[in-house]
Amino acid sequence: MRHRIKTAAGKLSLYVVLAGLALVFLVPFYWLAISAFKSQGQIFSTPPQWVPSPWQWSNFEDIYRETNIVRAFLNSCVIAVGHVTLSLFLCSLGGYAFAKYPNAPGGRKLFAFVLGTMMIPGAVTLIPTFVILMKLQMVNTWWAMIVPGAANAFGIFWMRQYIAAHVPNDLLHAARIDGCSEFGIYWRVALPIARPALAALGIMLLIGTWNNLMMAFLLLRTKDMQTLPLLIYLLQGETRTPFGMLMAGGLLTVVPMVVAFLVFQRQFIAGITSGAIKA
Amino acid sequence: MADDGDLAGPARRARTRWADVRRHWHFYVFISPFFILFAVFGLYPMLFSLYLAFVKWDGLTGMTWVGLANFATMLEDEILATSLWNTLVIGLLYVPPMMVLAFLFALALNVPWLKMRGAFRSAFFLPCVTPMVVIAIVFGLLYSPERGLLNYTIGRIGLDPIPWLNSEAWSKVAVAILVVWRWTGYNMVLMLAGLQGIPHEYYEAAKVDGAGAWQRVRHITVPLMRPTFLFCGLLSLLGTVYMFDEVFVLTRGGPGISSTNFGLYLFNISFGDFRFGYASSVAYTVALAVFVIALAATRRGRASPDEGEGGA
Repeated sequence: MRHRIKTAAGKLSLYVVLAGLALVFLVPFYWLAISAFKSQGQIFSTPPQWVPSPWQWSNFEDIYRETNIVRAFLNSCVIAVGHVTLSLFLCSLGGYAFAKYPNAPGGRKLFAFVLGTMMIPGAVTLIPTFVILMKLQMVNTWWAMIVPGAANAFGIFWMRQYIAAHVPNDLLHAARIDGCSEFGIYWRVALPIARPALAALGIMLLIGTWNNLMMAFLLLRTKDMQTLPLLIYLLQGETRTPFGMLMAGGLLTVVPMVVAFLVFQRQFIAGITSGAIKA
Repeated sequence: MADDGDLAGPARRARTRWADVRRHWHFYVFISPFFILFAVFGLYPMLFSLYLAFVKWDGLTGMTWVGLANFATMLEDEILATSLWNTLVIGLLYVPPMMVLAFLFALALNVPWLKMRGAFRSAFFLPCVTPMVVIAIVFGLLYSPERGLLNYTIGRIGLDPIPWLNSEAWSKVAVAILVVWRWTGYNMVLMLAGLQGIPHEYYEAAKVDGAGAWQRVRHITVPLMRPTFLFCGLLSLLGTVYMFDEVFVLTRGGPGISSTNFGLYLFNISFGDFRFGYASSVAYTVALAVFVIALAATRRGRASPDEGEGGA
């Protein structure tokens, strides 16, 4: 609107600039992808090789042979699926309750309290959370990564807003008259309608959990419990860092998130911008 | 309002409050998981670490009550002071370019005739969905002193190679570049949402009055985008203070402690030195300071929505 660049040359130059910048932003991804197919020598060759010659597959063989990457992939998947599923269930249940029982005594105050908890920085609660997870014997288990953040305030807020706006009360009434239980109404009536909101929240949670390094570093102690980011982090730092292997493992870690993002990007972007619009 | 969706409707309002509570027992059951988990992993940790702020504890042996000693130690902790200084410098290095870039990208992607908008948006946004640990290692390669792509390119232009990760002066710049790369797209998306919330009529009216494109951006877009800029700014404030993965992987805070920001410092004294008591007092103090700064910024930002033009 505000850039009324009328001439074709003006339009073209915007495309050229945007395309150029987009390519610059994609260079690290490209470098990751091609370095996975280079030997250590090729990675550090001068001039840098934009296309590996020859292409090496050994990095993938090496990381498969020398590390427990299959197990790490499995751990990452279990933690991601577990955390996302549990969070979606608890947040949608809470969000539904706050959206559809407006006459419950204290409901408003409790909701304000939930929103207030968003202001607590994780840095303040980190040490005690760690100590509690030790006491609960959850350190070095999947549960340590799945449970603690499962009922998060943002998720409840997000689901409440969507359900309040999109699930018609008449539908709930009709289900109630048909003898549906309250949980049944949530599960069979509200939840299917809230699917877009679940997708948005799910993709945000998925990316956060999959990429989490700090909690994995603190809580997952043995090799058979490592997630992909932790495995990759710990692979460096020995005397000679095997960059080819790292890049191969890195590619396997990055690709699922890139695919998930490209599939769900509309929902994802709707999710992160909701806060900005509110502010 | 959604009032009619309630269990029994307004007919039985005269009932006592307790009966009301019992009638809504589903509500309390449905929200209870949040409160149970919050009690265990939110409220209790908050109180526990408030207590820890006044004790000396390594997590294994007994706690010793030290009163305000932890807070006194903070005043003389030079590493803390350096990490806060580094946080400020890294923030100043990356926030302005990131915000300007994000705003320009958002303006460009908001141009109505633009095609392939989705592709551009994805390209700029993709960095912030990828695991930092992988990306930081890739940046480590790009930054490597003699054979990295960056220094090779710089050399081809005829400039001297830059010791990105090996110099106390440049390590912060290296971190800042990584952060700009990673978070510009995120801010762009927030700003794009903000731009789409500005009514078209404003621009039409300005055009009728003869305002050029630049004037429209300066006098309509920028003032109306203040809330969005404020939101992005607050996220950046929190992001810089508590940033962890970026420095933990790319520089490990070094060389020396030249790129150790507050987040990494706190992690180090917590889980490197196991000074749980001291770390808690530091965490509380800084969290409070950040909260006050954020609150002041919000107040100021809200107080003068139409005044002052330098919103970006």
